[in-house]
Amino acid sequence: MTTTNPRYASADDPRVMLDEQAGVFEPVPPYPPRTEREAEFYTLRDGEMFINMGPQHPSTHGVLRVVLKLDGEKVVDLDPVLGYLHRGVEKLCENADYHQVISQVDPLEYVSSLYCEWPPVMAFEKLLDVEVPRRAEYIRVLSSELNRIASHALFMGWMALDLGGLTPILWSFIERDEIVEMLASLTGQRMLFNYFRIGGVNGDLNHEFMSRLGDWMSRATTQIEANLGVLNENEIFVRRMRGLGRIDTATALRMCMTGPNLRATGVPFDVRRAHPYSVFPELDFDIPTRDEGDCLARYLIRIDEIRQSIRIIDQCLHQMPDGPVMAKLPRLLRPRPGRAYAAVEGPRGQYAAYAISDGTDQPFRMRIHDPSFIHLQSVGLLTPGNLIADTMAVMASLDPIMGGVDK
Amino acid sequence: MDPLLRRRLEARFGERLTGPVRQRHDETEIRIGPGDVTDTMRALYDEPEFGFELLADLAGVDTGMEMQVVYHLWSSTTPDWLRVIAGGLSREDPRVPSVTFLWKGAEWMEREAYDMFGITFEGNRDLRRIYMPPDYQSFPLRKDFYLADDSARSPGGGVRHMEQTHAPRNAKPGALIRRSSS
Repeated sequence: MTTTNPRYASADDPRVMLDEQAGVFEPVPPYPPRTEREAEFYTLRDGEMFINMGPQHPSTHGVLRVVLKLDGEKVVDLDPVLGYLHRGVEKLCENADYHQVISQVDPLEYVSSLYCEWPPVMAFEKLLDVEVPRRAEYIRVLSSELNRIASHALFMGWMALDLGGLTPILWSFIERDEIVEMLASLTGQRMLFNYFRIGGVNGDLNHEFMSRLGDWMSRATTQIEANLGVLNENEIFVRRMRGLGRIDTATALRMCMTGPNLRATGVPFDVRRAHPYSVFPELDFDIPTRDEGDCLARYLIRIDEIRQSIRIIDQCLHQMPDGPVMAKLPRLLRPRPGRAYAAVEGPRGQYAAYAISDGTDQPFRMRIHDPSFIHLQSVGLLTPGNLIADTMAVMASLDPIMGGVDK
Repeated sequence: MDPLLRRRLEARFGERLTGPVRQRHDETEIRIGPGDVTDTMRALYDEPEFGFELLADLAGVDTGMEMQVVYHLWSSTTPDWLRVIAGGLSREDPRVPSVTFLWKGAEWMEREAYDMFGITFEGNRDLRRIYMPPDYQSFPLRKDFYLADDSARSPGGGVRHMEQTHAPRNAKPGALIRRSSS
């Protein structure tokens, strides 16, 4: 309802807006604080103010609302408000049968879907004691490493976009689009692949995929190095990122960080080596680390990972064994009662799934652990003291995907 | 499977364990009571023979009979994942000590478990709902929370048409809860 202030001639006067209650745009929740931390956060000291970033801010990489507590342009504290994309995937998985879980978890991380499919599939294979054919494992590694490159390429573009550079995202989409089309010819989908199956993969490598992959591999290294030149040698970019959002090793471990964000602080923790799965023990690759722990390190480490992924793909192509791509399994799966945990190293960190079977054809409990969720909470640790514009840089460098954060 | 880890765990936490140490594939599982969480986790984190410095996952579980909080830990001293199950929490008022004093990153995972199961983590200073709206009353991942029957799902599509996934009106409370003894 519009309340007209008699000071203004008509209700159309733009100054009417200023007198009205802010309503949905009010960052302070309309109920008393529920916890100590909330009470502390929503109490303003002298000179401080709240501002909402989101829920539809372009740099939040999805639908996320961040309440910033500002002192001038400096961020004092922040409170991320989640749940705008919450679908209740875990509940849906408990009410779906084992095969349907794969398509349920697919849209969580929509830029690297294969890494969402892998942990549940691995956990179910553990519950069922299935041995996956070696060819299927190699295809999994091959396709998921391609997906990692696509994801990291997009990260580089996004990162620059959040800092105000428009060109790099156009460059990074060249690589990403080629990989995505390649995977589409393998899996039938561009983004939500639904490709891994319990006991193998959905289809064998086909001619179109192989010819596209061969074509891309012959120029991948040079092409990516050329693209990197746009940002790596850009002085504005490098000076902006260096020293920003620094996190030290002990804090990163305390914040449960994994993946590139942890390796950027100097810990060589990579699930592929720390807890080997699939055929990674047979493959030769390095785990790049950096010691700075700032935004630039988090950016550069992903570039190093792209190079390692190309190495892995090359080895997969050379060592690809012949054979079936699916284990023999009944249509209706009823694993014996038990519990299984499986984790893989994704482009953002450790993706994991924890499944409990009670002997029926539906999982009794399906827990999905997503690294974006874990990393997003350290934004509150990294940002205070910086400017508003740095919030976006820090958030982009941690690379959260809101689909995975909200589940 | 790492038999050495099993022996070390039995030697260190022998009297505290509420069940046998189980091992399967690359996982080792111990069960403790909710009162022992703080001491056990501190020992697993601090003592060099364990050195579990990475909390890989924290999950709530409703078995239909009791609530559990399940921690997955990683250490460079063993090739296994360690699963610590803090079991025996009552379904009416589940309470367990928070592990945020060791891993601050557990804060949001505990908030999620609180949001979905209503488990109270004592010592977590920001325990409020994280996904569901603040005025939401129920806990969606509990076993007595039923999904509405969805006619869009065909009987062949994984929904068991003989049994129903929603509670009929005249069902006795708790009669249809899916329970697991594991």
